[in-house]
Amino acid sequence: MDISFALTGKGYVIVAADTTAAHSIIKVKLDEDKIKTLSPHLLMAYTGEPGDTVQFAEYIERNIRLYQIRNIYALRPPSAASWIRRSLADSLRSRKPYSVNLLLGGYDTSTHTPHLYWIDYLGTLASVPFAAHGYGSYFALSLLDRYHDPEASLEEGLATLRRCIDEVSKRLIVSPGKYKVKVVDKDGVRELDF
Amino acid sequence: MNSFVSRFASTGHDVELRKAREAFGDEDESLEMWGSQAGFGPLSKGVPSFSVPAVPDPSAFLRLHTDDHADPSCRIKIKHGTTTLAFRFRGGVIVAVDSRATAGSYIASGTVKKVIEINPYLLGTMAGGAADCQYWETYLGIQCRLHELRNRERISVSAASKYLSNLVYSYKGMGLSMGTMICGWDKTGPAVFYVDSDGTRLKGDVFSVGSGSTFAYGVLDQGYHWDLTDEEAQELGRRSIYAAGHRDAYSGNTINLYHVKEDGWKFIGNYDVSEMHYEGPAGVGYGYEIRTAGKSSANPPPEPESQTAQT
Amino acid sequence: MSIMEYNGGSVIAMVGKNCVAIASDLRLGVQSLGIASNFQKIFPVTDRIFVGLPGLATDVTTLHEQFRYRVNMYTIKEEREIEPETFAALVSSTLYERRFGPYFIEPVIAGMQRTPSGSYKPFIAATDLIGCLNFAKDFVVAGTASDKLFGVAEGLWEEDLGPEDLFETISQTMLNAVDRDTNSGWGVVVHLLTKDKVITRTLKGRMD
Repeated sequence: MDISFALTGKGYVIVAADTTAAHSIIKVKLDEDKIKTLSPHLLMAYTGEPGDTVQFAEYIERNIRLYQIRNIYALRPPSAASWIRRSLADSLRSRKPYSVNLLLGGYDTSTHTPHLYWIDYLGTLASVPFAAHGYGSYFALSLLDRYHDPEASLEEGLATLRRCIDEVSKRLIVSPGKYKVKVVDKDGVRELDF
Repeated sequence: MNSFVSRFASTGHDVELRKAREAFGDEDESLEMWGSQAGFGPLSKGVPSFSVPAVPDPSAFLRLHTDDHADPSCRIKIKHGTTTLAFRFRGGVIVAVDSRATAGSYIASGTVKKVIEINPYLLGTMAGGAADCQYWETYLGIQCRLHELRNRERISVSAASKYLSNLVYSYKGMGLSMGTMICGWDKTGPAVFYVDSDGTRLKGDVFSVGSGSTFAYGVLDQGYHWDLTDEEAQELGRRSIYAAGHRDAYSGNTINLYHVKEDGWKFIGNYDVSEMHYEGPAGVGYGYEIRTAGKSSANPPPEPESQTAQT
Repeated sequence: MSIMEYNGGSVIAMVGKNCVAIASDLRLGVQSLGIASNFQKIFPVTDRIFVGLPGLATDVTTLHEQFRYRVNMYTIKEEREIEPETFAALVSSTLYERRFGPYFIEPVIAGMQRTPSGSYKPFIAATDLIGCLNFAKDFVVAGTASDKLFGVAEGLWEEDLGPEDLFETISQTMLNAVDRDTNSGWGVVVHLLTKDKVITRTLKGRMD
């Protein structure tokens, strides 16, 4: 039931994920952060099977960090996406696969380009200008086809994200209440009040 | 002489008729025998009646052979997948639908009429079982006309939709599959009612039904308000169906757009979804790649020249 | 729904006179939901070989990476480029390695094969998901629109089509077949190979 959105704009990627942790019909926690900062210019929103999500996200987080410690430089977004995808694809054919869906947003400081990757639990990787996971995608993708602007300012980008969240709140039966919103740009990662 | 010959002849029109009489066990020469009531024969005696399979539980039998959600390899494929929408606004009602019919992953038709013109003031939309919608909304048209003749005034949208709702409810559990919007203009102004085969009947301002409805809602909700102009409203309906046609595999091909005003409905046009993607209705394509062509999210630092210009 | 149809997508390859062509759609979907319209399923292997990988999208990427690795190893060891026929055998054995837990991909290979006399002859092949090779003289198809592709290709393909005619034939076949398939489409890409050059064109397809 978790929902995540992400969209690119002029020199940034916004990543948003709902903050509810649910067990059967109960919301167990209302302020869970489901977006990890993998490196100074890389964000990852993770949703899916409880347990798998955090385990997998922490594994990715630690290994991306290890790479940075060993090589001084962090992996650039396309390479990180490729490695994370492969981790999921290998996991898929293991005895106990991770069921985790990801949105990977990063800013490549050497080409000054924001990157956004849609990755599902099978290890499917797509490079897209905007993305969503969960039931939110059925409402938000058509909306973003209509309103997304790759050259939007941060304020305009957040206004478009607001449309997505409002639409899901309006139409989805089990819509989450709160979202955590983070942005990555040339200055790195920061959380936004939303 | 002629009648003598024909009585003993083994071929010809009269013989066919005689055989038909024997087969029907009906001595009266009735029109139903020739199917000239366009399939509404069973209704000619006033009460609808249909033959049902001779098994203990006819509806379970039907479900066994037609429900491809439960069993994809079922023998009878009922065509699924649709996007339809209707909304009420200051200038009347906009009704917009796609035209794709699919059987599994095969696109069986791209030219289906999913708006049923019940009468000059009433429109019905089609989602779910195509035959169910077509048949019962045509039947509704007959009943609406009879109402007019009996009461010397047009039926209200509310009454018409209630008639349909009660009718499909009487068949509940028998496998009817309909999700329809009954739209029109009556004494109360523009009206939209959602009616489905569960027996749900809802009055409302904005509805969308079908596999692509979520995509249509995404665009429709964001652009909708009561004071839309006629042109804005038509554009919103068209744009919303395009959105669904684009994202939903089971919707697409063309858009049929209707506008209901005080003096009845008007067909606005048929628009190809792909043409809308590339060219749009007025030269500006709806497509994301078309709309944002040449734009880039890259944010390179300003050129050194511009920096010197600043100083 | 079968895993083979989960993401959608189709590929076709055709033989012409001293040329071959390979085409695919660009859709990536999750069942009925379209996700991306820029998902390449055809990859260059050498200057004279293309491989199309329709099927489960995760395996499209995995197998592409696997083939790239194995072809690079071959090139280094043999100190020459791989030939289409050899590459087809490589594809086949790579897939059969996973006989009991297969990659859900039905590869299509198109290339110009070098003959002993030094000239080039067109080569196409396709395999099923566990590597059964099918060499064809006319055309091969795979993916969710394969049955539709067969129908259109049977009607349009002729022997000894020149590069321009082959391009037209494969383009029309692909465009019209995917228009009858819900899970393929969202644009088409065509690669045309002759003995000395490759032409790649992205076609405007229906976007619904």
